[in-house]
Amino acid sequence: MLRITGGKVYDPANGINGEIRDLYVQDGRLAASGTGGRTIDATGMIIFPGGVDVHTHVAGGAMNFARAMTPEDHRRTKAFIRTKSRRSGLGGMAPTTFATGYLYAGMGFTTVNEAAVPVLSARHTHEELADIPIVDKSTLTLMANNEIMLNLLENGEYERAKNVMAWYLWAAKSYGVKAVNPGGVTAWKWGKDAKQLTDSIEGYSTLTPGHIITSLARMCDELQLPHPVHLHCNNLGAPGNISTTLATLEHLEGHRAHIAHSQYHAYGGDDWDTMRSNTAELAEYFNTHKNVTTDAGAVLFGDTVTITADGPWQHLLYKLTGRKWGNLDVENETGCGIVPYTYRRTNLVNAVQWAAGLELLLLIEDPWQVFLSTDHPNGGCFWRYPEIIELLMCADHRKECLKQLPDKIMSRIKLPEIDREYTLYDVATAMSAGPARALGLKNKGNLKVGCDADIVIYEEDDSVVQMFSHPRYVIKAGEVVIEDGDIRETPQGREYIVKPNHDPSTDEFIQPLFEDCYTMSFENYPVELERVEGADVRECGEGT
Amino acid sequence: MQKSKFLPKGRKDRTMVLVDIRETKSAKASDIFLQVKPGKDFELITILRALIKDQHISDAQIEETGMTRAVLDDLVHRMKSCKFGCMFFGMGLSMTRGKHMNSAALLTLAAEMNAYTKFVAMPMRGHGNVTGADVIMRWQTGYPFGITFNRGYPRYNPGEFSTVDVLVRGDTDAAFIIGADPGATMPKPAIDHLARIPTIVLDPHVTHTSKLARVHITTAPAGIAAPGTAYRMDEIPMPLKPALKSPYPTDEEVVRRIREAIETKPFWMPEDSEQMILAQV
Amino acid sequence: MSITLKLKEAPVVPLEAEVLSPSHLADLSHAEICELRLYHGKRQMRVDDFFNVEGERSDQVEIHGDLHRVRLLGRGMDRGHLTIHGSVGMHLGAHMKGGRIDVHGNAGDWIGAEMKNGFIHVHGNGGGQIGGGYRGSLRGMKNGTIIVDGTAGLEIGLRMRRGTIVVGGIVKDFCGLQMKGGTIVLQSGAEIRTGAWMNRGTIISLVPLQLMPTFQLSCYYNPTFLNVYSRYLKTLGINLPSNAQDGSWARYYGDCSVPGKGEILIWNPHAT
Repeated sequence: MLRITGGKVYDPANGINGEIRDLYVQDGRLAASGTGGRTIDATGMIIFPGGVDVHTHVAGGAMNFARAMTPEDHRRTKAFIRTKSRRSGLGGMAPTTFATGYLYAGMGFTTVNEAAVPVLSARHTHEELADIPIVDKSTLTLMANNEIMLNLLENGEYERAKNVMAWYLWAAKSYGVKAVNPGGVTAWKWGKDAKQLTDSIEGYSTLTPGHIITSLARMCDELQLPHPVHLHCNNLGAPGNISTTLATLEHLEGHRAHIAHSQYHAYGGDDWDTMRSNTAELAEYFNTHKNVTTDAGAVLFGDTVTITADGPWQHLLYKLTGRKWGNLDVENETGCGIVPYTYRRTNLVNAVQWAAGLELLLLIEDPWQVFLSTDHPNGGCFWRYPEIIELLMCADHRKECLKQLPDKIMSRIKLPEIDREYTLYDVATAMSAGPARALGLKNKGNLKVGCDADIVIYEEDDSVVQMFSHPRYVIKAGEVVIEDGDIRETPQGREYIVKPNHDPSTDEFIQPLFEDCYTMSFENYPVELERVEGADVRECGEGT
Repeated sequence: MQKSKFLPKGRKDRTMVLVDIRETKSAKASDIFLQVKPGKDFELITILRALIKDQHISDAQIEETGMTRAVLDDLVHRMKSCKFGCMFFGMGLSMTRGKHMNSAALLTLAAEMNAYTKFVAMPMRGHGNVTGADVIMRWQTGYPFGITFNRGYPRYNPGEFSTVDVLVRGDTDAAFIIGADPGATMPKPAIDHLARIPTIVLDPHVTHTSKLARVHITTAPAGIAAPGTAYRMDEIPMPLKPALKSPYPTDEEVVRRIREAIETKPFWMPEDSEQMILAQV
Repeated sequence: MSITLKLKEAPVVPLEAEVLSPSHLADLSHAEICELRLYHGKRQMRVDDFFNVEGERSDQVEIHGDLHRVRLLGRGMDRGHLTIHGSVGMHLGAHMKGGRIDVHGNAGDWIGAEMKNGFIHVHGNGGGQIGGGYRGSLRGMKNGTIIVDGTAGLEIGLRMRRGTIVVGGIVKDFCGLQMKGGTIVLQSGAEIRTGAWMNRGTIISLVPLQLMPTFQLSCYYNPTFLNVYSRYLKTLGINLPSNAQDGSWARYYGDCSVPGKGEILIWNPHAT
């Protein structure tokens, strides 16, 4: 039994807004009452459900490649020292696995969603996730550029494709569907891209990105997946891409969707010189359509490393900046591009990006629709989230930061006109309750009796950054894992997986297709359930 | 060779260029064989980097590498007009004079070729699960090899902490060799040092290293009698499904038991050490 | 007043001694110096486990002994004078910001790596990667002067950004690799691949060099800047020919594969 007494509780899932309440924890869950055990006196402190990062890149082939590319960052970052019970690690832009768990937990985040996993290397991702302590995890599997999927869609075999998608999700031991630059990553295998939804896709004759998007969104809903299609739109980063994004939303035809890092998809202008923020248009869409959620993908000034399956975009970034470039090709499925990058205040494009991320968080009215993220590490490192929280909560601070930006961009952004400030209730929604709900993780981001006891306790501080960077206590599944800045325990987290119902003949159907174009044996392709640490399987779909 | 959707004629739709210092059996399987002068790989690749950018290189400079202008012009043309190029490179490149710079040169050429067409490059790794060791080291420590943990956190410096250099300089006072045979491949000073210090070997076979070690423990061969995961050359993880049983313990079992024995001793870092530091050495 | 340290116990494995730098020792008492932490492999030892210590509170530091296994001496120092009588290991003066180091002996790899400023003079031979950037770093030394009287190893001046390196003896391959700026003076030339992938900067060699095929001859000349520069080098005890009557410099530009705007100047004495 763990009792937490006298704290100010923020539990948006249950409408609790700063009430002073006692919390009881038993066997890893919130309980109605209890006696004995340890008591934490949380008088004067603020209590949130544990943070949920809805879109981050922390494990797998792409992240591991980024680690290889940035030894200079590993050298200058914080280092966790080995102890009898705890492993060593390095933080920075591409943190090592053990350090990733410590850093997230140290900030009060207890669930992370690894947003991009190829089926072919899913085993690798799960092995890395097993080495990330404390936090619970889920993964999203890349689907929008798989040759087998695209072939079926081009031939109009929708039902087959849906069954194949379900089969893929279980083979990868995954939680949901990720679509990155649909058709564009396939085209990159020819050195090309697919930027508009009506573009043709190299290697295909009639298939378009628009068709892929509509199909995937529909499939996710029909399979009743807890999380809808998670979509990284075409034409990322390009001036004027707001039109592509709005067209993408139209193609959803009312199906649910989560738009990833929408900041990168909300630009107006015609070229780099005239690029501007068009977040108002995008926010308007979200404000009038409840079937979609998004995460901000906010940018913070400073060094980071960009990692994405959007291969063509990364090649462009390499040519523009001359920075290091890494490119991985994953046969038949996807790829990734990696470019270490620095966002600068003096760079007009970066300044617009910085404003745009905050604008989306402030202009989308319902905090249950827009979530805190930087698309770690693309826009900035996850351990800098408190800096974003400060910018959202303090309009004065925002205005001071705006003054440091080049005058030229003031007419291109909306941020100077925005006075809204996030309340603690809004923050708790955007960093915990909202993402948990969007992910369909009913026991997360929620302090109701029976829910998982993932709790973070902050000491009130005038400095928002200080408060959110250094929680006083972090509790995971009922165990105090962080106390007074020290890592006390490093339990193993769980991994959430879906098992969508599908036609049992799909196995037989896929095998010859697989053997025709892959270079491994079919029986080695699916990940064995035993290899997933702390697997928590959830069945879904018709008949469950 | 497999026919595919985009290359319906299989081998006939592909062009293979082999670059080596001498003609090997593989030359017969190739379409074009380029015999580069020994020790001129780095120069040849650097010339190609310049030629693809239409920079001027003289005939004489080209001929020093064993090539002619006609051959290189043809190669550059083929590279720029192909649909998907892939460069595989092995130890003949990465272990000759220039070492890592030879590999860097080829990878840079592949990166720069992407301005014209799709190009990738891949190192052909050594035997065993070298790729697996690299992959796991990277996710746990951030670095692929050449790592020291003496300060309680990983530090990386090839040449300072890489095995051959540590052994040649005699910078270590004990050695634990698992599934490798440095006694067969390393320079004499390294081998002499291994023989001098307490060396422990885990291997399914009695190797050259075993013969000069203090302790040899025979272990079950991975993939045949011991399970696990191996990472293929392209970093795809493959499950190992043992077909046989072995009377010997697996490497994993042995390492765990050694660790348990060590854990009964006092921990090597002092009690009051910090959990985390901001400034590494 | 100065601090003198004499090695009394030879390290069996590398000894990491970044605490032995004038900036660090300048304000410490004798007792405090003795209890500073050295890393002998993984074991934390005291300075006086390995050295006899005399003196305190000074930025004039002398170390005596065969220190070829001792690494990181003078790391990050920003003032004072460190004099070593004996050979030293790797990372001498790495990340240095100021002050001066003299080694009367040889030194290992990574002398003055990523230094920001300061002066290092190794009176014996040096290792590789002098003034270089550590693996993955975009840049090496940002400024400062490094002089090695003897020979040196691979990748001298790797990715250096500014500053001066002078080597008296011959150096190995890849001198000036990916140089971004600064000057390297080679009094006895180099082996192969000098200036490979150079972006900018100047390499000056008193003897002919084997160059990359991606360097082109631009001219023979006697640039004015060299007259000024050689006057500065003379104050450091280094003589550069600069008299037009004695010869001229062949100027090569490259590396065209990057494409870079570096230059290599090779002394071309007139026939007598």
